[in-house]
Amino acid sequence: MSLSPRLHIAESHKAKMEIARNRLMVAIFIFAAAFTLLGLRMLDLGLVQRVAEAGNNHSEHAAVMASRSDIVDRNGVVLATNLQTSSLFARPKRITEPRVAAARITAVLPELSEADVYTKLTSSKSFVWLKRKLTPREKWQVNALGIPGLDFQNEEERIYPQGAMASHVLGYVDIDGKGLSGIERFFNSRLSDPSFADEPLVLSMDVRVQHALGDELSKTMERFSAIGGAGVVLDIETGEVLAMASMPDFDPNHAGSASRDARFNRATAGVYELGSIFKTFTLAMALDSGVVELNDSYDARQPISIAGFKIKDDHPQNRILTLPEIFIYSSNIGAAKIAMDVGGEEQRNFLQRLGMLRPATIELGEVAWPLYPERWRDINTMTISYGHGIAISPLQLAVGSAAMVNGGELITATLIKDHDADYGDRRRIISESTSEQIRAMMRATVQIGTGKNANVPGYRVGGKTGTAEKSDVGGYREDALMSSFMGAFPMDAPRYLVLISVDEPKGIAETYNFSSAGWVAAPTVRNIVARIAPILGVEPSTEEDPHFQQAALLIDASKAN
Amino acid sequence: MGGSLMFGQKSVKKSPLQKLRDMNWIVVLVLVAIALTGTAMLYSVAGGNMDPWASRHITRFVAMFLLMVFIAMIDIRWWMRFAYPLYFIGIGMLLWVEFAGVTGMGGTRWLDLGVIRLQPSELIKVAVILAIARYFHSLTLFETKKLTSLIIPLMIVALPAVLVVRQPDLGTAILLSAGGIGVLFLAGARAWLFVVGFILSIASIPVAWNFMQNYQKERVLTFLNPERDPLGAGYQILQSKIALGSGGTWGKGFMEGTQSQLNFLPEMKTDFIFTVLAEEFGMVGGLGILTLFMIVIGYGVVVSLTCRSQFGRLLAAGLSLVVFLYVFINIAMVMGLLPVVGVPLPLVSYGGSAMMTVMIAYGLIFSVAIHRHINISRKDSFG
Repeated sequence: MSLSPRLHIAESHKAKMEIARNRLMVAIFIFAAAFTLLGLRMLDLGLVQRVAEAGNNHSEHAAVMASRSDIVDRNGVVLATNLQTSSLFARPKRITEPRVAAARITAVLPELSEADVYTKLTSSKSFVWLKRKLTPREKWQVNALGIPGLDFQNEEERIYPQGAMASHVLGYVDIDGKGLSGIERFFNSRLSDPSFADEPLVLSMDVRVQHALGDELSKTMERFSAIGGAGVVLDIETGEVLAMASMPDFDPNHAGSASRDARFNRATAGVYELGSIFKTFTLAMALDSGVVELNDSYDARQPISIAGFKIKDDHPQNRILTLPEIFIYSSNIGAAKIAMDVGGEEQRNFLQRLGMLRPATIELGEVAWPLYPERWRDINTMTISYGHGIAISPLQLAVGSAAMVNGGELITATLIKDHDADYGDRRRIISESTSEQIRAMMRATVQIGTGKNANVPGYRVGGKTGTAEKSDVGGYREDALMSSFMGAFPMDAPRYLVLISVDEPKGIAETYNFSSAGWVAAPTVRNIVARIAPILGVEPSTEEDPHFQQAALLIDASKAN
Repeated sequence: MGGSLMFGQKSVKKSPLQKLRDMNWIVVLVLVAIALTGTAMLYSVAGGNMDPWASRHITRFVAMFLLMVFIAMIDIRWWMRFAYPLYFIGIGMLLWVEFAGVTGMGGTRWLDLGVIRLQPSELIKVAVILAIARYFHSLTLFETKKLTSLIIPLMIVALPAVLVVRQPDLGTAILLSAGGIGVLFLAGARAWLFVVGFILSIASIPVAWNFMQNYQKERVLTFLNPERDPLGAGYQILQSKIALGSGGTWGKGFMEGTQSQLNFLPEMKTDFIFTVLAEEFGMVGGLGILTLFMIVIGYGVVVSLTCRSQFGRLLAAGLSLVVFLYVFINIAMVMGLLPVVGVPLPLVSYGGSAMMTVMIAYGLIFSVAIHRHINISRKDSFG
């Protein structure tokens, strides 16, 4: 340093500052460029790439995986996808110290037996599998061992990111990716077709609705210590199933460890006597055929004794009831008499046309045949009028009920979104005006009848309770019930139908030990409607449909028991 | 300290109250806005609950905020004097973690001090910047340009980086090295070194790759995709890209995001919180938070430009660089532009350590800003 210190400092200071400024300018440029990049990417993701292209993003992310197409819900939320995993194999000839290697491998993969691994590593084969489908963590740990002669084979694993949600609809696959149940099985060839690999299968389901349905159903099951439950949310205009649940459910990521009971889809593969919801069919049939009119009345004071069997009312009113009263107080005696007036042959034909006597039509292999009497005697006509002596799946009941509510047309249920216009058939079952009368009675049931616990302020729920005693060898068990509720909303222009069935609920103190539909299934439907109605964009309103007045006038609520 | 004559202007001596007034409160407000956004997102992720995350997030922020103001009040020369001791304390803590650390999230990173659990790998980021800034402050320009002058700062960076990689924590190692090397560049080390270094490291990748054993290659690949959750990193990325896309322009609305409402992703509250934001507030929300970060980072750069002392310049710029790297790496990772490395979005993600680093960094940046008129001699912090 030949310059005087002070001068040097000053000069150096200036130069340093100059340099620092220049360098900072470079930094500012880089910062700006980086932020611009992030901003552009955000514009790209937010504007250009829409949800529908989610599947493409996926395949771009990992081209190897896309051999089985994704399954997404109606809004593009992924329900099933693929993940690349690795399987560990060894080339025994390249393993230098098999004993040490075996000890170290089993240290990180404790589920393998050391002796077994040692035998494999010392075998004369040139290739041995040690473990299939390791987790990324296990793979990392094995790599960290640094043993030459070990290698990984990339494999693909089917992943259900939502866990147990909608597990019975989705189904599951075996280790080679072949669909074994549900959508995975029904659409196996479509899903495994390479030409569709980038095109996700879009279901009619909505995860938000599914979550509400599954959540409320399992809460109810827990609350009433029930052994099972099933639920369906249906779009009654299009037939699209928005949600379908069966409890107990299972995690399709680990389907192998689930019990048979958990894998069983109660909504489509289980058939049950579902009780008084059938009165909807009985009254619709009677009104539509002209045999009765809305202001007709029936004597419901005396139980009917027939073939050694006694038909009595669960909510006895002990008086002469009008048709709407029979419906809203769920009189078995009244329904049985109406059915007898219409006739057994007519009833059978009506249920036949409504699809109650054959398996449900839906894109699932797990559909069961209903159970009904081969010879349709008077006693059968009577019990079937209120849903006993015939066992159908909850989905069938939902689809049949939809026809009663939606203006009278039978729709075909589907799990696929936006079908072509000619999908399934649409058949008129009852007239528009009969359907309106049924709607009026369903609304009244929730306002003042057995379904009061299903009311959601503003969403104009209408519905019907169904409490069935479960049959056992030689008769019915009064202590084991199937509690169901079928609700639709908004009742003045119904669009959605919710059906819930709870298997063997036990009464609790809060419900005065009752476990019937009005106490168990109706409040569950209320909670579900309250959660999903805003999601489905149903506008709340306090206005009631003026057309419902006619039915309301026929109800003498002051005499209700 | 008899060296007050060496300070240059005497007028820069400020009372604590004056210092408080000199803090840039607009930038402080932006920091608060970012932290409140994080709180709102954590509230949403918890399904509309302050518990368990949002309340703790805001409590921590308040504590860190006070710490930030306290740091800002302290004279920049004190920080310069403490630079090396703080660095060695940080190294000591990292070494301690090696032996007495608590394992969490698949790596030994935490230090249990009884009252709080500290992540030394976070604090060392600030300490490294302090130490390198201190080192270059004492060099003349001529010395700065000498290649041999780079040996010590490179060691200052390499020592903690190696310790952090061993934990293992790739994200911190990257932030640490990039931040440290960035300060070397800002200090004025010869530019061609960086160009050549960059080209060499890019060029050496395929060569090194060829020499690697198969299992070593796998090791590197898995290292780039760490084992964050059993379903793997690819799944996280896929989900978050879908969420970003589904948010559209304006988003689905607060608390309306499918991801947060259904609550299926365990990492949503930490490294992938940006996804929730972008889903619920859309592209506009995402660009908004990006703008807020741009303001605070830009402020650090402006402070650096207007500071008289080399130490303050390098400190403010270096710390801004660290904050920038946090934000950039996190958002780029979430949007699928970078592989998944564990870097949180500061002040927004749940977790105290990154918040602490950033708040300490801003404490120091404010300190530089308040004391920017002070000339500091090359030899010692207080002359």
